[in-house]
Amino acid sequence: MTAASLGFAPVRRDYIYTVIGVAGVALYLFPIYWMFASSLKNSAEIFANPPTLIPANPTLDAFRHVFQRENVLRYLRNSVTIAGPVTLLTLALGAMGGYAMSRLRTRIVDVAVMIVLLLQVFPEALLATPMFIIFRTLDILNTFGAVILATTSKTLAFALIVLRPLFRQVPIELEEASRVDGCNAWQTFWRIVLPLMRTPLIVVGALAFVQAYGQFVYALTLMSEQELQPATVGIYSFVGAEYADWHRVMAFSSVFVLPVIAVFLLMQRKIVSGLTAGALK
Amino acid sequence: MKTLANLPAPRIAGPAQAGFLKFGVPRMRSPLLYVFLIVPVGYLIALVGFPVGYNLLMSVQEVNLGNIVTLARPFVGLDNYRAVLADPSFQKVFVNSLLFVGVNVIAQIGIGLAVALFFARGFPGAQLLRGLLLAAWMLPALVVGALWKWIFATEYGLANAALSKLGLIGAPIHWLSDPAVALTSVTIANIWFGMPFSMILIAAALMSIPKELYEAASLDGAGSFARFRYITLPGLQATLFAVACLVTIYTMRAFDLIFAMTQGGPLDASNVLPLLSYQFSFQQFKFDIGSAIGSFSFVIVFVVALIYVRTLKKEAIA
Repeated sequence: MTAASLGFAPVRRDYIYTVIGVAGVALYLFPIYWMFASSLKNSAEIFANPPTLIPANPTLDAFRHVFQRENVLRYLRNSVTIAGPVTLLTLALGAMGGYAMSRLRTRIVDVAVMIVLLLQVFPEALLATPMFIIFRTLDILNTFGAVILATTSKTLAFALIVLRPLFRQVPIELEEASRVDGCNAWQTFWRIVLPLMRTPLIVVGALAFVQAYGQFVYALTLMSEQELQPATVGIYSFVGAEYADWHRVMAFSSVFVLPVIAVFLLMQRKIVSGLTAGALK
Repeated sequence: MKTLANLPAPRIAGPAQAGFLKFGVPRMRSPLLYVFLIVPVGYLIALVGFPVGYNLLMSVQEVNLGNIVTLARPFVGLDNYRAVLADPSFQKVFVNSLLFVGVNVIAQIGIGLAVALFFARGFPGAQLLRGLLLAAWMLPALVVGALWKWIFATEYGLANAALSKLGLIGAPIHWLSDPAVALTSVTIANIWFGMPFSMILIAAALMSIPKELYEAASLDGAGSFARFRYITLPGLQATLFAVACLVTIYTMRAFDLIFAMTQGGPLDASNVLPLLSYQFSFQQFKFDIGSAIGSFSFVIVFVVALIYVRTLKKEAIA
């Protein structure tokens, strides 16, 4: 029910809500601004009391430091090396499973959906120990492969749940027509169904990427080799070791989250609808 | 019984020839679909189901650094569980976890509902602004932890500066190093982090309540509170319940954020079960105790997940 539809002072009242909304959202997201603002301060200004809301002498010194001394590029490369394959694996397995779940009509699907829903809930921190032992037995600790396999188990469950209802919206008549035209089951899936699912797959891929990019627990437990660790572990050791260097920690964080913010801004609308479809249907 | 999986798929009304095709082509039952089903589900069973089972096995064995790779380990029955229950740090952390989860559920749903209702007024820009809030939820949990650790810094942090400027506090609060405050601090950070997600789900459910109901109620003279009480709340009931389950599940998972902010300290003041389990396993190398603590969390999460799945099914039937 909007004020407008009741016929009270429509326009002006609505814009007051917009102003309140903008102010509220700005206040809510202020911590994110604070991260960027802090990263632009120099070592003196970061300890100003009271803190300056806008950097008085903005400088890129903190960024220079994290690039030259903290190997932020290596960490970022490792993060992407993990997140890229996780995304591809999630999309491949998620598309297969989501399609099968939307088309098969047997008890097996009920059971499979139930298994997926239940398996997505276990905290990573608790799975880390058994995974550590399993991967140690397989002798693949300290490899990107171990972290990729572990992380995909989290993103895949999510992908299956989001994609299943969306695959149902592909009209089955299209598939039947392609079968009549002589396509086999694989060709129908690859040439007819997948292209129609492009947008949802991109959204799921983006979310999987963001999740894998920010993955921490598995990298921490399955990789002891510093050379291979992703940026989350880098930030963690940085926060733990040097309490005082907050402008540098925030510079590291800023560089790290820029791709996430970019993905978010590009796909905001679609992400919102993807999430609501996944969690409640 | 209708379930989630065998509800009829939404169909686009086909052209006349669709009926003809139904005779010509058998329904999709190709073996490929079974392969497509088995591969991802098998993956999840191998990489989640098996570790969960393995964890339960370790929780009834004696596991240390020496025998960690072999499966032949001495069985100790429920000794690990007894040791865990007797451990004062476990009791404290168990209570912490309940508080952390409980406050998060209440706050995220309460604030999320209020924010969703505000944006449901449909003023110019409402959708865009509501979506922007999700930026907080998209950030890596570890970054959120680092950021809030900086905001909560005692000496130069934003929180103390803002509160003293407003005249609300005289002396700086030791947000992260005072055992009486640390759990509150990580809870505030986690509510900030998780609220937008709850809000978005609630907002989606709000939109599905028919507008006509509100219009009819207004004509009958129902005030805004009555409309909220008798239309909005009943309409949201199932969603709020599902969101409560999801927040419980996600909050039980909160590891990165607390690890970055306080590592569970001081003196376990802000510790939660998954983090305690991790500390026993990877810092003290008592893998058996860590696994037993893990089992407690598994049971909690699993029960909530069962309730969640049941809720979803009811929703799908309705």
